[in-house]
Amino acid sequence: MAVRWFLGVLFVFACFHKIASPAHFAKIIYGYYLFPDFSINIIAIVLPFLELFAGLALILGIYPRSAAVIINVMLLAFITVLSINLIRGQQFDCGCFSLGEAGYSYTAGQLLLRDVICFILGLQVIFYKGCRRWCFRQTGSIFKNISIDNCNKKKFSGQ
Amino acid sequence: MIKFLLEAPLKSVSLKNLNSYNMFWTSLMPYRDIIIELVILLSLSILTAFAVNYFSPRGIALFGEWDTSEGVISAKSKKDVISHELEINTVLSAKKTYDGGKAVFVDARSQETFEEGHIKGAVSLPVGRFDEYFDKFKKTYPISSYIVTYCSGRECNDSHKLAQFLLAEGYLNISVFIDGYPAWEDAGYPIE
Repeated sequence: MAVRWFLGVLFVFACFHKIASPAHFAKIIYGYYLFPDFSINIIAIVLPFLELFAGLALILGIYPRSAAVIINVMLLAFITVLSINLIRGQQFDCGCFSLGEAGYSYTAGQLLLRDVICFILGLQVIFYKGCRRWCFRQTGSIFKNISIDNCNKKKFSGQ
Repeated sequence: MIKFLLEAPLKSVSLKNLNSYNMFWTSLMPYRDIIIELVILLSLSILTAFAVNYFSPRGIALFGEWDTSEGVISAKSKKDVISHELEINTVLSAKKTYDGGKAVFVDARSQETFEEGHIKGAVSLPVGRFDEYFDKFKKTYPISSYIVTYCSGRECNDSHKLAQFLLAEGYLNISVFIDGYPAWEDAGYPIE
């Protein structure tokens, strides 16, 4: 549960500035020189909201497993992209005055480590089989909620 | 387990069977449920993303301009400052303008970068500190001057931003040298 909240809060906070300035975020994506031109803006539009919804879902306990799956897939993508750039040794530096220095205080290696740790935490959320507390909608489709069943039963059959 | 799997679809679904059938699926990794949840979460986020982007004043176009051979790159947001008509596309034409002697080259980069090297005769007017520097600039260069802004290349849109600021202040004759200082230096043209 704590892991869930930690991941959720982390992602909700991380996505704010991306939603606030999508043009800036798009430029950062461009700076990796990895994505085809047509996809850059779409990624810049969609990704922050994926982070927001997955993070909120984790905090509120709505479909935590799937939210963790989404987050882990994203983290895998971040890890891949960061690793490729580390290997390439490339630094995106457009030399712009206005692109500010705030937010660039971490090296790629530190970011990579952070992403790997989060990935492992995400795995814990995905594979956790016990009773989840503080969940609105643990799993199932919209009309099913088995979290209460899980907590009330000591052991259920079929396992 | 396997027997259960084989038998379940064949038996008619009674209430008793339904419950254990359900329990079977939900007790292991319930892939079907996860897929449904994923679809819900994904569609919700994607729809919201596009909706917010459409209505937000800071929204960006679905397809940006990221090809440096076309000019300065941009995400094409609603607040975009890029107007390609102002652009000087080649270092050679910029040099011709420079040789003409009538243009004022204005450097949009920071003071520190300017001091490390700039086009000979250029003026520093860092776009991030426009208000500070502009009064002095205005006194030295009248509104009728022909201005050429530049920054560090096609990946930087500060040159365009500065051009827009100057246009707003009344300067009408402005161009943007998009290849910027690095290209000028590489071509071996006068720097200081």
